[in-house]
Amino acid sequence: MTDFLTLGFLQRAIAAAALTGGLCSAIGVFVVLRGLAFIGAGTAHAAFAGVALAYLIGAPPMPLAIVFGLGTAWVTGLLEEQGRMKLDVSIGIFYTATMALAILFIGLMKSYNAEVYGYLFGSILSVTSEELQLTGVLAVLVVGLLGFFSKEFFFLAFDQEMAEASGVPARRFFFLLLTLIALTIVVSLKIVGAILVFALLLIPPATAYQLTSSLHRMMLYAVTIGVLVSIAGVLLSFQFDLPAGPAIVLLATGVFFLAVALSPKRAPKPALP
Amino acid sequence: MTRPHPTHTHTHPHHGDHQHGKPLIRFEHASFLYPHGPALEDITLEIADGEFLGVIGPNGSGKTTMLRAILGLMPPSQGSLRIFDCACQELRCHHRAMIGYVPQKRSVDPYFPITVHEAVMMGRAGAIGLWRRAGRRDREIARHALEDVGMADYDGHPLGALSGGQQQRVFIARALAQHPQILLLDEPTTGIDTTTQHTVLELIQRLHEDLHLTVVLVSHDINLIAPLAERLALLKTRLYAVGPAKDILRKDILSQVYGPQILTTDQGHVIVADHHHS
Repeated sequence: MTDFLTLGFLQRAIAAAALTGGLCSAIGVFVVLRGLAFIGAGTAHAAFAGVALAYLIGAPPMPLAIVFGLGTAWVTGLLEEQGRMKLDVSIGIFYTATMALAILFIGLMKSYNAEVYGYLFGSILSVTSEELQLTGVLAVLVVGLLGFFSKEFFFLAFDQEMAEASGVPARRFFFLLLTLIALTIVVSLKIVGAILVFALLLIPPATAYQLTSSLHRMMLYAVTIGVLVSIAGVLLSFQFDLPAGPAIVLLATGVFFLAVALSPKRAPKPALP
Repeated sequence: MTRPHPTHTHTHPHHGDHQHGKPLIRFEHASFLYPHGPALEDITLEIADGEFLGVIGPNGSGKTTMLRAILGLMPPSQGSLRIFDCACQELRCHHRAMIGYVPQKRSVDPYFPITVHEAVMMGRAGAIGLWRRAGRRDREIARHALEDVGMADYDGHPLGALSGGQQQRVFIARALAQHPQILLLDEPTTGIDTTTQHTVLELIQRLHEDLHLTVVLVSHDINLIAPLAERLALLKTRLYAVGPAKDILRKDILSQVYGPQILTTDQGHVIVADHHHS
């Protein structure tokens, strides 16, 4: 019954789903807590514009995706820090501008290029061993840094100014966080696509947020949910011949609404003594 | 409802280091700018080790700016500010870790996933440093800080489920967990009921006396702060006066800052026409 699990491409797809699901959910905890959701969306679409430009000029896609993704994350981070403009406005401008660039680059191509669209919608069932290895290396790097500096990142997520005042170099950690978000998005792009990567950054952490009142447990729950819904989504897509990305997103969304309905935070609180 | 707290505070590593009277914070003709204009102008003030200074003044008079400057978050545009005999622009993380800060009360998102223990452990982050992880000793320090503020029984509770006064005590515990030499408090009694206001102020007084902490407390409530502080500093962009409460709480001095509507009663209470500054 489980013979299909011996299929090489499916094994790679399950491993890729588990890695990207866990990785995006881990970094997504800070995206949700620090209110950076739109930076995630803007970065994902900017990285896609980088990919489109790379295919247009015949360059390797990853370096340009990193340049576009990091550039957008850092510039929006600077705008947020300086408070010159409301963040949703500046991100909205970047989001639409980078999407316009991507469409422009695609329009300038002389022929239809299916590979470019793979970066928009993802192609988890056709992931290669090399892509899997790259994702694995990045997952170790990002999760390792998040774990090693967890006390700094959690403080930053709760109150950045207090962290700075207490002797934590919070500004540097904020830009390190933006860098890790951008790298996670870029590396996940080929596997899950620009749209799904944003969903994985948000939905599992938002689900965990409903279930616990502890920062450390939120991280544990988010990663567990991210890994499980991603694997389950791939298996469902294989079993019922569905596109994998939507299967993962809709499954995660279902779990989110279940968590909202069952959230202990929604129960009336007994008065503390 | 608040729980009784212990009458003795825990030992503090800086306990024996204090040299009473030695200036820890020194403003010399220091001015600070907002993007749109001056925040503080020509401030000259020394705050001695172990002193309890109260900072009073109307809204927008630069009280919070003074605390942010001491934290090294705002360098002076003119003049100088030295803390621990170090120019504030050169304050390093280990210096900042010796300054405990309780910011003006902001509403904590009641659903933000953070326990009381996790919030207090954040106070250890600067003291532990970047390359170390929190250990058993750090957890003990956090527990002692919670005991010091009478909140040890709430260790595992969600922070958002606590009352305003209880959250304020937790934030004081977070500052204490740093083992600070200087404790800065910005309007610590705002937004909490009168009984809890007195409990919080008694706690600050006890911490000042038992741990010999240098305390700088900012408040718009002159009557609440006057009995506690050894000196009061009267601010309105400039430093108008500094000295013991009996020398500052005089109609002729206060009216320079609050206007002619100020009244002082025979009991030494101050009444300002603007109810925000009573």
